[in-house]
This record gives sequence, structure tokens and C-alpha cells, in this order.
Amino acid sequence: MNKDLMGKVSFFQVMILNAIGRLVEKPLADWFEAMHVGLSWPDARIWCNQIGALGGTMRSTVVAATVAGVLAADSRAYGQGTLLEGFAFIERALAEARKGASVRDIVAQECARHGGKPKFMGYSRPIAKGDERLAEFFKIQERLGFPVGEHLALALDIEKVLLEEFDETMNFNGYVSAFLADQGLTAQEAYQVCAVLVTSGVTACYVDTFERPPESFLPMRCDDIDYQGPPSRPVPSPEVG
Amino acid sequence: MEKRSFVDVLFLLFRAELPNADQSQMLERLMIGLINPGPRHPATRAAMHAGVGKTNPAHILPISLSIMGGTHLGAGCVEDAMRFLRQAGKRDPQSVCDELLREQQRPAQGDWHPVAGFGSRFGSVDEIPGKLADHLSRLQGAGKALLWGCAFAKALRAHGMGWLFPGVAAAVLADLGFQPRAGAGIFQYLQAPGLLAHGLEMVNKPLTALPFPSDDNYFIEEDGDDC
Repeated sequence: MNKDLMGKVSFFQVMILNAIGRLVEKPLADWFEAMHVGLSWPDARIWCNQIGALGGTMRSTVVAATVAGVLAADSRAYGQGTLLEGFAFIERALAEARKGASVRDIVAQECARHGGKPKFMGYSRPIAKGDERLAEFFKIQERLGFPVGEHLALALDIEKVLLEEFDETMNFNGYVSAFLADQGLTAQEAYQVCAVLVTSGVTACYVDTFERPPESFLPMRCDDIDYQGPPSRPVPSPEVG
Repeated sequence: MEKRSFVDVLFLLFRAELPNADQSQMLERLMIGLINPGPRHPATRAAMHAGVGKTNPAHILPISLSIMGGTHLGAGCVEDAMRFLRQAGKRDPQSVCDELLREQQRPAQGDWHPVAGFGSRFGSVDEIPGKLADHLSRLQGAGKALLWGCAFAKALRAHGMGWLFPGVAAAVLADLGFQPRAGAGIFQYLQAPGLLAHGLEMVNKPLTALPFPSDDNYFIEEDGDDC
């Protein structure tokens, strides 16, 4: 019953319980809360946040715009949608390592899956280079009493090889997937807990544009549109076409 | 399927009766007029962001329709526009215009929509919905709300305002007998194809295909900055 939880455990403990059916200790819930803070960064250039900002400028409701932003982050390029692939990678890599593959072999195999490029899930970023959030997260993890587990240790070794060979680093997905795999979560469970990961940043971007005149957020002029499709053609009438 | 067009069946679904030929033509022309809000519209841009951001394609429409639900140029003002047209349509359009402008104050910044469905866009008359309304008003099925709205838009023109797309939709839907509460959803539905097309157009483009202000051009305001 709600009264067994209200006032006794944190909101994030309840959120995780509802998502995976297990009541976790508070440190893990605190780690998740910090993660949600890190991923709810209200920069309106991020795709999901920009959708929230567009909702504000068009006077959608805060709920509609925030939910739209949350849906947008269900993506294979960023946001919570990438956790499924991030887990798949680190679990595959650990299975290979346990069979005796070297970290360099694992990196080479993964690059081969991606056309020879080191652009695989958990490493590199689409626009920025490096991930400034990771150093902070290692501090948070340590403070909460979580040692570096088997998946995360391997993820860090992979980063060393990528840095040496390609000048690429681990990103937040790589860290989160490995850390949560060490905590015994499955990919689907991690995805479920993170369903509304970006929500607060989207709301912030909504509020910012909602408080300004409508359509004043990055307005476009007609000549800002660079049409690259087929040239204009006459429209035939049905009997001709 | 063999006896009636898609538009007729759509009308039947919401009105529980088949349209006559004039009504059918009116709804079809409105659908064509609304089928694509264009790439400058915030809801279209939301669809394009979902596409380029590699969002699950099943989410493109719900995302863009959520933004299209807004009260500024979106479905959120269609019901109010239908109620306005229903009430004000009994009076002289010029008098209603004069009264609204006398009773309300133009905002210091941004556009002015003194009533749902009508106003300015980027500081002047948005000619495209006006052209759609003029075209529809010449059809056999043109009804009272649409014709009244055209006269009202004419009165507003002297003040740099006119029809907005939700207003045109509201007038036609009112004339076709749709209930005001149905207006928002039908307006979203009629705009959905263009939103989806623009979103899908971006799904295979690189993440950087849409303008992304660089850090040098990205400012975080502080208290006291001018917006």
C-alpha cells in the first residue's frame, strides 16, 4: 500500500520499484536520481529539449510538450532509448572477455560491426567530444559506496584502447550501461527505470519559451528554408494523370 | 468502399451521416488546404527534430501532434474559434471587429490574436490561410461561418491582421456541423500527413542536419539581459 512507502522511502526508490518490481537500497536510488539530474540538462539545442521549447512557443500545455520531449528521447541516437544497445554491447564484450578475448580484440570486433569505425554505442558523442559528466559520476559512485564492477572495469579498459587508437572516449551511455549491468539490472529494466529521464530539462525549455511571445523561439523566415527536393512540376488533372 | 470516397466516410464517422456533394467537396478542399503546415511551423519542426534525432519513428506523429495541440496557431484554439464564429456570426463583422479592438490591448511584443482563429503572424497578415478561405468561400458548400469570417478578416486587415489556419478550419467545420469539441482533434488529424512527411524526410539525415547553434552562438541569459 502507498502508506507503506510514503514518507519511508524516496521517490526514486518508488519509481524504481514500480519500474522493475524490486525495492532497491537508497544509494542506488540516489545514483539514479543524480543520473536524472545529469540527463535533464535544459539546453534547448538538444533534440528533445527543443521539442519542449517549440511546445512553449506554440502554447501547447506543459504536459503535452514535456511528454512530447520524453517521447523524442526514446531514440537510438541519444537518451534512454540507447540503453538497450549500450547494455547489449557491454554484455557482449564481457562475454568475449570471459572467453579470453583481449580488449583490443573486442574493440576490433566491434569496429568491424560498424564499418571499421569506432562509433559504437557507449563511446564517442554525436556533437560534443568527451563527456564532462563522467568525472562527476565516478565521484558520486564512490561517495555512494559502489565499487567499480566487472562490466565497468572492462568499459574503462575499452576506453583506454579507443583513446590510444582513435582518440575517442566513453560517453554517458557507456558508463551507465556498464554500471547498471554491475548492479544486476537487465537492459530492459534500466530502460524502464529511465522512461522519463529527460523530463525536467524538457519542462525547463518549455517554460523558457512559454514566458516569451509566441513563435519568438528561433523563428524561421521563408528564405531560411533550403528546399532540396524535386523541382516544381505542373499538377496533372485526374483524367490526364 | 466502392460507393463512397474516403472523405465521405470520414464525414460519416464523425457526423453519423453521409455528406451531400457540396459538403464532401468542402471537407476535401479543407483537407488539402491543411495537409501540410510547412517547415516553419513549430509542430513541423518538432516532427523534423524527432526524425533527425533518430527517435522511434512511431513517435513522430504523437510528438508533432502534441505540439500542434497548442493554442497559438494550433488545435488548442479551434474550439474557441468555432464558438466565437457561432456567437459573433449573428452580428455585423465590422462592429464585432471594432468592439474587439476597442476592448483589448495589443501586446507590447509578438503577434496579436484578439480572438481565436484570427490575428497577425510575424507582425502582419498571414496571406496563405486567407487565400484558402477565399477559395473555399467560392464553393457551393460555403456556409455562414466561413462567409462571415471572410468579412471579419477583411475588417481586420486594416489593422494588420486576418485569418489564421485554425480559424479557417473552425469556420468550415462549424458549417459542416461538427461540434466545437471535435474541432481540436480533427484539426490535428488533417494536419498530420504533412507533419509526418517532414519528420520522415529527416530520419536518414545526420544528427547535425538541422541548425545547431555552436557554443559561441549559444547564450545563457542573466537577470537584466534584454530578451
